[in-house]
Amino acid sequence: MATETLIWLIPLPPALAFFLIVLFTNRNKALSHTIAVGAAFLSWLGSMIVFVRALRVESLGENPFESSVNWLPTGDTWFRAGVLVDPLTAVTLFFVAWTVLMIFIYSVGYHNFGQPAGDHDHKGLPPHGATVDEHGHKHVVPSVEPLYSRFFAFIGLFAFGMFTLVVSDNLLTLFVGWEIMGLCSYLLIGFWYGKKSARDAAVKAFMTTRIGDVFMLLGIAYLYSVTGTLSFREIFTETTLRTLASIPSMVNGLSSAGLIGLLLFIGTIGKSAQFPLHVWLPDAMEGPTPVSAMIHAATMVSGGVYTAIRMFPLLSLDSTTMSIVAFIGAFTALFAATIALAQNDIKRVLAYSTISQLGFMIAALGIGAYVAAVFHLITHAFFKALLFLGSGSVIHGMEHGVLHTGKHDVDPQDMFNMGGLKNKMPITFWTFLIGGFALSGFPIVTAGFWSKDEILADAFAHNLPVFVTLAVAAFLTAFYTMRQITLTFLGEPRTKEAAHAHETPWTMTTPLVVLSVLAIGYGWIGIPEHFPLLGGLVPNWLHDFVGGTLAEHPEALEFNVVPLLTSLVVALGGLGLGYLMYRNVNSPAEDKLQLGFLKNKYYFDEIYDVVFIKPVTWFADKVVYQIMDKGFIDGILHLFGPGTQGIGDGIRNYFDLPVINKFFGDGSANATYFSGEKLRLAQTGRIQQYLMLALILFLAIGAALYFLIKV
Amino acid sequence: MVPLSWYLIFSAALFSVGLFGVLTRRNAVAILLGVELMLNSVNVNLAAFWRYGNVTDIAGQVFAIIVFAVAAAEVSVGLALVISIYRKRNTVIADDLDMLKF
Amino acid sequence: MNFISAHFLSLILFVPSLVAVVMLFLPKDETKLLRWFAFGASLIPLLLSLSVWFQFKAFAPGFQFQERYDWYEAINSSVHLGVDGLSLTMVLLTTLLTPLAILASFSVAEKVKAYMMLFLFLETGMLGVFMSLDLLVFFVFWEVGLVPMYFLINQWGSANRNYASMKFLIYTMGGSLGLLLAIQLLGVLFGTFDLLALTQRWTSLDPDSTLLGMSVSQVKAIAFWAFVIAFAIKVPVWPFHTWLPDAHTEAPTAGSMILAGVLLKLGAYGFLRLILPLYPFEAKIFAGALAFLATAAIVFGAFASFAQTDFKRLVAYSSVNHMGFVVLGIAAAGLASGTNDATIALDGAVLQMFNHGLSAAGMFFLVGVIYERTHTRNLEEYGGLFPLVPVYGGILIFTSFASLGLPGLNGFISEFLVVRGVWPIFTVYTAISMLGLLFTGAYVLKALKNVLHGPMNEHWAHGEHKLTEINAREILVMTPLMVLILWIGVYPAWILDVINKAMMMLY
Repeated sequence: MATETLIWLIPLPPALAFFLIVLFTNRNKALSHTIAVGAAFLSWLGSMIVFVRALRVESLGENPFESSVNWLPTGDTWFRAGVLVDPLTAVTLFFVAWTVLMIFIYSVGYHNFGQPAGDHDHKGLPPHGATVDEHGHKHVVPSVEPLYSRFFAFIGLFAFGMFTLVVSDNLLTLFVGWEIMGLCSYLLIGFWYGKKSARDAAVKAFMTTRIGDVFMLLGIAYLYSVTGTLSFREIFTETTLRTLASIPSMVNGLSSAGLIGLLLFIGTIGKSAQFPLHVWLPDAMEGPTPVSAMIHAATMVSGGVYTAIRMFPLLSLDSTTMSIVAFIGAFTALFAATIALAQNDIKRVLAYSTISQLGFMIAALGIGAYVAAVFHLITHAFFKALLFLGSGSVIHGMEHGVLHTGKHDVDPQDMFNMGGLKNKMPITFWTFLIGGFALSGFPIVTAGFWSKDEILADAFAHNLPVFVTLAVAAFLTAFYTMRQITLTFLGEPRTKEAAHAHETPWTMTTPLVVLSVLAIGYGWIGIPEHFPLLGGLVPNWLHDFVGGTLAEHPEALEFNVVPLLTSLVVALGGLGLGYLMYRNVNSPAEDKLQLGFLKNKYYFDEIYDVVFIKPVTWFADKVVYQIMDKGFIDGILHLFGPGTQGIGDGIRNYFDLPVINKFFGDGSANATYFSGEKLRLAQTGRIQQYLMLALILFLAIGAALYFLIKV
Repeated sequence: MVPLSWYLIFSAALFSVGLFGVLTRRNAVAILLGVELMLNSVNVNLAAFWRYGNVTDIAGQVFAIIVFAVAAAEVSVGLALVISIYRKRNTVIADDLDMLKF
Repeated sequence: MNFISAHFLSLILFVPSLVAVVMLFLPKDETKLLRWFAFGASLIPLLLSLSVWFQFKAFAPGFQFQERYDWYEAINSSVHLGVDGLSLTMVLLTTLLTPLAILASFSVAEKVKAYMMLFLFLETGMLGVFMSLDLLVFFVFWEVGLVPMYFLINQWGSANRNYASMKFLIYTMGGSLGLLLAIQLLGVLFGTFDLLALTQRWTSLDPDSTLLGMSVSQVKAIAFWAFVIAFAIKVPVWPFHTWLPDAHTEAPTAGSMILAGVLLKLGAYGFLRLILPLYPFEAKIFAGALAFLATAAIVFGAFASFAQTDFKRLVAYSSVNHMGFVVLGIAAAGLASGTNDATIALDGAVLQMFNHGLSAAGMFFLVGVIYERTHTRNLEEYGGLFPLVPVYGGILIFTSFASLGLPGLNGFISEFLVVRGVWPIFTVYTAISMLGLLFTGAYVLKALKNVLHGPMNEHWAHGEHKLTEINAREILVMTPLMVLILWIGVYPAWILDVINKAMMMLY
């Protein structure tokens, strides 16, 4: 099959799976997950074939696979939509396909396929376990998710959105994929819609990202108006870019490239949960864990960063925009890391760490470290998916314990309820450890080290404040990761539930193992050439390959020992300190970092509630609806009713009744009556009187005529 | 031949006598007599105008005959009414006959 | 066959009325017969207009399928019918929505005969507006559409129907008063009401000459405003919109479907068919004001919708919001007529008209489905219905997101085209209208959250209140709408191309 055709086909299987499951197989769990996993596999297969073929192409950046068709007629011309695989797409496709497939497989086990239906499970609520009678004594086992098929339909659509986003050759279809993911994240975060927290989180996630989306839509419209195209290949030509940079925008001091870049970047801020639109992501943990992995590692948030990376040639045209990007990224990296220190929910720690790591990528982009950003995006996708799935495995194991003891008030996600899971769940432990170390940037072996090191090196070379900020953030990252590992896996079980935790089935552990291999191995393709000892053993393939996406291939950095030492120190120091501090901590009270403002995420939710949500709700209801529509406009309209009635009454009371009725109507009758009354007296009935009268009149008229004619 | 004006003066006098009778008499029979006098004065006029006008045109004579006929009919009906009233009410005084008056 | 092919438009136009007259002689207690008869009859115009659609030559300029019959010779007015890409799209929308609305009203039990007859008359009225090329006949049909709708709201509406139907009738009548006067003015001045002849003479008028003692520009300005007010009320443009939530909320389900689906389009159609071609100069001057009102409609419509606790009213206000984009596109085209941006904005506006017809009709129908079962529209009394009615929930989510403008569904394409086209022309207004787009999301999600989500609603789960799932007939109503929504969202070229060519030739 031609590669271009294959690229067109990559996003389709999951979409098809969505429709098949929704329309036909939603009552059959086994069939549904077979279709979904099969579809993910087909997409994976397609992606791998495309990836391998892309590797074989000499200088793929100049000669990418591309194909497009007419989509929208716009006046004389057509808007063309199509697919494009250049180096950036190829590497993104690689990690997306892998993580998506792993998450699909994991979901089968996570939703307890093969287990009996729950005793009291409701649609829209997490399953609560089923009682089974085995050899005469009853015990409780996990029960299958009631909306099992629906889940696979949704993640299928989600995968479709991500693949669409990745293979698009233009911003508009990229935006289509982007928003479809937004829809799916809404549906999946609100998957357990019976929980109030879940349905609020779903709305919050959609609305917060939509703030970014509308700006992005403006950016797209703006870009389209100026250049007349949205195709990446056509925008990133030298002439177009130069035009964009030279036309001033309506905002003072910004070129249109700068403003377009900013608008598009706001989209990324929303989607990738950067400050100040980061608030939705921790709440999004309400969804089932595979969803968290999907949203936070493999797809949606990566989609935001991917788009920013994709638009890098445009963003880099304006230095103001770049500074803003760098600032937002660096600030978010540090800011989210501090919040992660005080979270006790195992998934929330990961959520904040995701925000923080995305900040790293954005910051890298902001200082122009294109390849480093891509590198970190990929490695992060692997190890963060691994960590999320691992945490899901932990929670699953804890739920086993909860079902065993029957105490449903124990939160299986609270790390202080865990401890000592190392022996209960060995595979989960080791894979989680690999993921955690990769996240911390544990030197040499983990992929996270190489990518983070590259960012730090770039930052050191280009922008010292960013370097310092990121270094501190990296230290905190290592610290809270070790805190998490220590609290969860090391030491002794702190609760009965933890003591009865259980390793999860193979459908869940296999993805963990696969992802941990990638979390280690993927780092080796990007080892800088001049790295001591290791440099040059393996060629820095990633740099050459991904760098080829840009028209001007970025230069590899000179090796510098300062950032290397820094990253060694922060990673090892953070890990060590984390272990030492939390080795003996058994309850939140003993944790010195449970500070109010950190635990409450600097009160951002509360602030937003007071500053935005409440006033807007008030404004919508009271001002727009009650005062303006109901009061003012309808008020005016309602004046017409009484007004017309007033005029009518006036006419009736002051004209019709007195003039027409009284004067003309009644008046003429009265006058006739009155005169008849008076004249009646003349009607004596005496002929002689009549004749007399006639005679007199005759004489009078005769006399009158006589004199008149005479004179 | 006597001039036309003589006839006219005569007829006017006759008419006046009749009119006077109609206006002043209270007896219904007398009023009828007055009316007859007035009608006949008209007949005199008609005959006179015919004679002094176009003799071949006999319209004046025809009118006079019609007036006779009308007068005869009138008197016969009128007298019949008076007799009938007299029988009922025992009076022929016009003023007393006020049953139709309000 | 010859007769049919020579009289396509008049057949489409008058078949519903003829059928309605025939229905007069059907027994009034045979409700089943009446329903199916009306439904079957309403399919005839649909099939005919589909056939017109396939025979239509998008690339040919001018009006096609023209027919002309003498009507009122003394004042030189004739029934002149014809369609171009713009009106054909609207005709298709009308003939599509009417059978669906009739199918949707199979649950109406009282006075079925009158109801169905009114619906068929309504269809003739609406189609007449889209097809007439004679201003006087245009006006006649414009008013003909009002009467059945008045009775539909007044007789089959819900609690506050007297107020709503009165407001609807008087408001629109008040608006069209000026329209009638302006049309008569034109007729007297030019001795014809024929749109084609009129356009020619009108635009070639010497601007310095005088008409009826006024300068041409004065006459044009007066007529312009008379037209604008009539159409603005119908669209409705903010601040003339308050009749809409009342009328939509109180109308019977199918009535709301047609109101939102087609009647609102009459106003926008008037703008496109009469105002832009006849008054290019005035349109240019006042485009800024119109764009301001459109932006206000988008933003305030979204806010007001967000504030509602009545499900149907929420959907009704969403129409204000969506039609705002149509008007915004028209305003931009008025200012920058002839440019490529204007064409794109108009493409978006017309497509938005069609799309809103689909999604708003769908939304009103879905509100009706749940109202029929629960007899409440209060969002607070719902919640947690998803487990009870999963299929309904899925359809509701789908349609809501179409209304929200989710990419991949139809609303996005048209909104994007409008935003893209308007951005270079009214940058600031476009930016502000994004606030409305944001809140579109807010109110749609609010509705979904309050209807479907939440723990299973025990009140509607058992006994006499038990909520039943959407039935086959109701799914049948939604299916064509949903298919079109998805189809236009994924591959809009089949309809957009017709619209695009028409817009290029018109302006």
